[in-house]
Amino acid sequence: MTPRTLISLTFAGLIVAVVAVAGWLAWSIGADGVPQQAVREMTLLYGSGAALAVIALLGGAWAALDRRLAAPLRMLARDIETAACVDAKHEVAPAESDHLTELTTAVAAMMHELADARRRAADTVAEASRRAESEKGQLETILRDLHEGVIVCNLNHQILLYNRRALELLHMTGEMGLGRSLFTVMNRQPFLHAVEILTDRLGGGQPAEPGDDRMADATQPFMATTADGRTTFEGRMCLIPDADGKATGYVITFEDNSRRLAALGRRDHLLSEATEGLRQRVSSLAAAAETLEAFPAMAAGKRQAFEKVVFDEARHLSQRLDALAAEYRELVTGSWPTADVYSANILNGVVRRLRDDKGIPVVMTGLPCWLHGDSYTLVELLDHLIERVREETGAGEFDIEAVPGDNRVYLDIIWKGSVIPAGELAAWLGATLTGAWGALTAREVLEHHKTELWSQAHREGYARLRLPLPAAVEAAPEGSRRRLPSRPEFYDFDLLRYQKYSGALGRRSLKSLSFVIFDTETTGLKPSEGDEIVALAGVRVINSRILTGESFSHLVHPGRDIPEKSRRFHGITNEMVAGKPSIREVLPAFKRFVGNSVLVAHNAAFDMKFLKLKEAAAGVVFDNPVLDTLLLSAYLHDHQTMHTLEAIAKRFGVEIQARHTALGDSLVTAAVFLRMIEVLEARGIATLDQALAAANSMTVFRARQAEF
Amino acid sequence: MIKSVLVVEDEPNIILSLEFLVKEAGYKVRVARDGEEALRAVAEDRPDVILLDVMIPKRDGYDVCQTIRANPAWKDLRIIMLTARGRAAEREKGLALGADDYITKPFSTRELTLRLKQILG
Repeated sequence: MTPRTLISLTFAGLIVAVVAVAGWLAWSIGADGVPQQAVREMTLLYGSGAALAVIALLGGAWAALDRRLAAPLRMLARDIETAACVDAKHEVAPAESDHLTELTTAVAAMMHELADARRRAADTVAEASRRAESEKGQLETILRDLHEGVIVCNLNHQILLYNRRALELLHMTGEMGLGRSLFTVMNRQPFLHAVEILTDRLGGGQPAEPGDDRMADATQPFMATTADGRTTFEGRMCLIPDADGKATGYVITFEDNSRRLAALGRRDHLLSEATEGLRQRVSSLAAAAETLEAFPAMAAGKRQAFEKVVFDEARHLSQRLDALAAEYRELVTGSWPTADVYSANILNGVVRRLRDDKGIPVVMTGLPCWLHGDSYTLVELLDHLIERVREETGAGEFDIEAVPGDNRVYLDIIWKGSVIPAGELAAWLGATLTGAWGALTAREVLEHHKTELWSQAHREGYARLRLPLPAAVEAAPEGSRRRLPSRPEFYDFDLLRYQKYSGALGRRSLKSLSFVIFDTETTGLKPSEGDEIVALAGVRVINSRILTGESFSHLVHPGRDIPEKSRRFHGITNEMVAGKPSIREVLPAFKRFVGNSVLVAHNAAFDMKFLKLKEAAAGVVFDNPVLDTLLLSAYLHDHQTMHTLEAIAKRFGVEIQARHTALGDSLVTAAVFLRMIEVLEARGIATLDQALAAANSMTVFRARQAEF
Repeated sequence: MIKSVLVVEDEPNIILSLEFLVKEAGYKVRVARDGEEALRAVAEDRPDVILLDVMIPKRDGYDVCQTIRANPAWKDLRIIMLTARGRAAEREKGLALGADDYITKPFSTRELTLRLKQILG
């Protein structure tokens, strides 16, 4: 109900009341019988006159109120509405009534301010647009003059920006079509792959050293063809992150390398001809010459045959050499685009692609490491090989693992079943890889990586395909914190001594158990005196395989400052844990990850102490059996004084890739533990109970030693 | 008993030298010119050593090597791979598939006879 209606109703009510009172008075005078006629008439006359006067007065007051207050207020409201919504410059009509002058003045002043504010905002917007326009102009100038094609896309691969060179390279005239999909002009797979690799790096989905600069280098080389397959491009992609570090789109820079690639192909062929191709000839020549020299008494007929070989081969060699040299002079080339790649990035790509596109379950296992190659064609190759193995052997599940070797890294595909015959494998390599740029065969991918591929027996009942690749060119970065000493051994062996023995579980063989190998990073070495966990990580080991893809890794807010000393040790700073969950939230998640698995840690007493102290607060209990690689190492090599993780890893030949990160240490410990199981078995320690007993015998020994 | 050597090679000029050298070293020698012929020769009369070139017609040297190793009856057979390809990965592939030794061409004839003698004891 508007105030105006309310006022009208009030006045109407009052008038009705006056009429009612007057009517009642008139009736009671008539009914009660005022004796004198004259008095009665007088009373009625004056009474109705007074009533009429009151009604008139009320009517007049209502009219005045409505005209002077309600109507102007409504006008004012309309004016404000107009000014606010339509036109800030709209003036407020001066009030007809004196009572509202103050209000109209105030409103007018406010509306003036509003108009001003709007003008200022409009000016700022205009200025910003001008600046943006000029910056866009500058950017366009820069982009136009770039020799490389540049295209900016959002994560839906819609084109947001491109330069003229991009049009030229793509042989396009006119518009490329902003907002249209990049894949209308370019071949899809290489871009999906590059985005995947880069987001994987950005999100840290896989264990890698946080301080590793190669991870921070967020560009990814790629090769792609136009959608019609006519031209091949080589380029780099980098993601465009928003303020939170999430990718919002990407920039690609690229150049036409069709000619260069053709030249590269010719050069490779030439080089191979000049080196490998000449071996055969040189070999025949050398053998014949050496034989002639070593057997001077050879029969004349035989001797002639040898001499002919020497002559023929020598002539052939010189002719071939001339031809090669002539061809070589016409070639100017670079090299195939290869880079240092983290094996987990490649293997993740394979796992995802086979799982999502083809429904083939593939598990990544083992310790990831750095290698050198072209990740895209390698993913294509592995994808192709796994599919062929499945067709050939009927194997349904695969493991893929990177195994570091002497100056190389083996990518192994492992399945249950038989070995692929070499002849069969050679036939596969001729197949063209479907998603690859150009028409690249598996054999060519091997050639580009200067490698070979073979199939051999793996462990009992299993076979593998082994693909050796060069190790990374850059050595793993050596941060200063890496050289810091390990934390000291920590003695609170009661935690290990009184652990629950589980009957059936205890009798099971170590090889059949499910383990979670874990590690913590902390603010310091004294949990009882307020030191807290800053990182907690674990990795699952089942059937002697490290399930790299199934890992747990969380930074934890310690609720206190991280001292400089431990910051230098593990590299985790206060900024890095800002906004991270507390241990009360992380520990239940870790418990879910662990389930009933056997826990394994190096110097487990230390990590278990931290977990135990937080159990009550987090509302979980870790009553899993716990094995300690430090104690097991002491049991196996008690003559050795060094039982640090580094020392044990070295003893077992485990290459250390990323130490002093919780996940890095968990992975190393896992690799060490797997080798330990073999040695323990050889020493007659096959079950969990036996392993616990062996470790326990060491707790007594180590504790006694610690007393001195 | 005279030990026997099977030379598997398709290049006549090198066969000439290999045949001569092996004979001079005091062994019996036979020659096969492709992978299938090699396997037939092994099945007919098992030699003590095979000098096996990798790049041969029909079935390549790796294939022949792996096939021989798959047969337990031939496990005493020594295999020396000869190849004109010198990459580390190829050498490793040969050894992984069961070769006992791996010689890259061009090779010294003296070294070849030395390795033959070593491997035959």
